[in-house]
Amino acid sequence: MKNKKPLVKKWMWGLLLLVAWEIFARFGGASPLAFPSLVDIGKALAESIISGDIVQQTAFSLGMILWGLFLALVLALALSTLSIINGSMDALSDTLVSIFHPLPGIALLPLVILWFGTGSKAVIIIIVHSVVWPLLLNLKSGFKSVPLIYQKIGKNYEYSLGKRMRRIYIPASLPFGLSGLKIGWARAWRAAISAEMIFGATGGKGGIGWYIFNKRVFMDTPGLFAGLVVIILIGMLVEDVFFSQVENRTVKKWGMSQ
Amino acid sequence: MNKRNRILLVLLIFMFLMQGCSSETDGEKTIRIAEQYGIAYAPVQVMKEMKYIEEELEGATVVWEQLANTAAIREAMIAGELDVGFMAIPPFLIGWDKGMDWKIATGLSYVPVGLVAKEEIPSLEGIGSEHRIALPQPGSVQHILLSMASKREFGDPKRFDDRLVTLSHPDGVQALFSGSEVSAHFTSTPYLEQELDQEGFHLILDGKEAFGQEFSFIIGATTADFHEEDPEAYQAFVKGIQKSVDYINEKPREAAALLTKYYDMDEDTIYGYLTDPEAEFSTTAKGMKRFGDFMLESEYIEKMYGSVEEILWEGTLYEE
Repeated sequence: MKNKKPLVKKWMWGLLLLVAWEIFARFGGASPLAFPSLVDIGKALAESIISGDIVQQTAFSLGMILWGLFLALVLALALSTLSIINGSMDALSDTLVSIFHPLPGIALLPLVILWFGTGSKAVIIIIVHSVVWPLLLNLKSGFKSVPLIYQKIGKNYEYSLGKRMRRIYIPASLPFGLSGLKIGWARAWRAAISAEMIFGATGGKGGIGWYIFNKRVFMDTPGLFAGLVVIILIGMLVEDVFFSQVENRTVKKWGMSQ
Repeated sequence: MNKRNRILLVLLIFMFLMQGCSSETDGEKTIRIAEQYGIAYAPVQVMKEMKYIEEELEGATVVWEQLANTAAIREAMIAGELDVGFMAIPPFLIGWDKGMDWKIATGLSYVPVGLVAKEEIPSLEGIGSEHRIALPQPGSVQHILLSMASKREFGDPKRFDDRLVTLSHPDGVQALFSGSEVSAHFTSTPYLEQELDQEGFHLILDGKEAFGQEFSFIIGATTADFHEEDPEAYQAFVKGIQKSVDYINEKPREAAALLTKYYDMDEDTIYGYLTDPEAEFSTTAKGMKRFGDFMLESEYIEKMYGSVEEILWEGTLYEE
C-alpha cells in the first residue's frame, strides 16, 4: 500500500496537467499550429500506430539505445575494475571522466561525422559517450563505499578478481550502480533522439528522433506531440515498472535502500 | 561589497545583457527579418549593408534575427517573433497548407542547385539502399526536386525518402568528402562548385532539369499581421529588396566587394557567382504552381491554391 500511493498521486497530477492543456488549447486563443488539442494529438498518435511507422521507429531507437547501454556498461565496468586494482588506472579514469563528462555528445557530432560517417554506428558512439562517464563515476564511488571489512573478507577467502567483483563489489555497491544505470538510461534516450534529429535516418526508417524531425519540417504539430507522448510513456514505463521492479527485488529486499 | 552583493550584481548584469538579446518590439516601425547566409541570399545582405529599408522609411528599425533553419523561421513567424522570412517555395507551401497566415511578398534569386555524387555512382539509378543522400531537410526544395526527378525516372516520388540524411550544407560537404556512406549531396552555390572542383565527384542531377522550367530558388514571405498592421513598413521592405536586387544586377563588382565581409571568399569568386549565367537575381516569383501541383499529387501537402492571390500579396510580380 505504502508503495502505491505516490504512484496514484503521480498519475493524478499527470491527469490534471492534461486537463489544463486541453483547456488552454481550446480556449487559450493560441494557434493550433503551436498548441494542438489532445484530440488532434490522439488522432495523430493512433494514425502513426496503425500505419506502424511509430512502432518500427521506436523499436529501432530502443535497439540502438540497448546496444549503447550495453557497450557503455561493459566499458564502465572494465574501467572501474581496473581502477580498483591499480592506482594509476584509477587516476587515468578520473582524468578521462573530467575531460569527457562535461562534453555534450552533440558537441562532438561534427567530429563523429568525420570519423565514423552518419550511420547507426555514429549514433551508438554518441550514446555510449553520453552514458559511460556518469556510469563510471557512479560505479567508482559505489566501489569506494564498499566497507573495508567486506573487501578484507574477500581477500581472506583468496577470491579471484572476478569473484571479488561478482560476490562483493557489485552487490555491495548496487544502489550506486542502479542509480548510474537510471541516469545512463535517461541520457541514452536523450542522446539517441538528439543525434537522430541531426543525423537523420540511419537505416531504413530511422528512429523516433527522425519521426519527430519529419513531423517538424512538415509542420505536423499534432504528429510532433504524438512522438513526444511516446517518449514520455516509454520513459515512465522504464522508470516506474522496470527500475522499480529491479529495485524491489534487489536493494530493497536486501535492506540496502528504501 | 560582500560576496552576496557581488553575486547579485553579476546576476543583474546578466539579466540586462539578456534583455538586449530579445527583440525590440516596443518601438513602432520595427521590421524583424531572419538573417540567412549563402549566395542565394545575397540581396538580403546587400539590403542590410546599404540600409535600404531605413532609407525608404524614416525612423524604421530593422532587427536581424539569427535562426538555425527554415523550420525555425516558420516557428518564429507563428509565434509572432518574426515578420519576414526567406526560404524556398516548398517549405513556404508546407506552412501555407497547414494554415499559416502568410503570403509571398517577393521573389529573390535562383542559383545553381544540383545533386553531386561520387564518381562510382553514374546516375540516380546507382543510388542503392546502402547509400545516403545528404540534404538540408525533408520538405526542403532539394528534397522536392529529388522527388520530382525520382517520380519522372522511376514512377515513385518517395523512392529515396528512406535514404536521406539531414545535414547543413557545410556538414554535407564534409560527409561527402569523408568517404562515409553519404555518397551524394544535394546542394547549391557555393558548395556545389566546391564539390565539383574536387577530383572524383560529378553532377548527376541539375535542379532546373529536375524541375523542367525556371523557378525561384528563394522567395521572401511575410506574415499577414505585418502586411496588414504596418503597410508602410511592408512597402519599405518590398522596395528595399527591389533596390538590392537592382544593385546586384547593375553593379555586381561593388556588390561582390560588399559581400566579402560576409563570406570567406575573395571578391573575384563572389563576383563569379553573382554573374554566373545560371544564377538570377529577380523579385519575380516563379514556379509556385508546378511545385504546388507536384507536392499535392505526391501528398507532401493536402491542399492547393485556386488562384495565385491566395499565396501572393498584391503587387508581387510572378510568372507561372
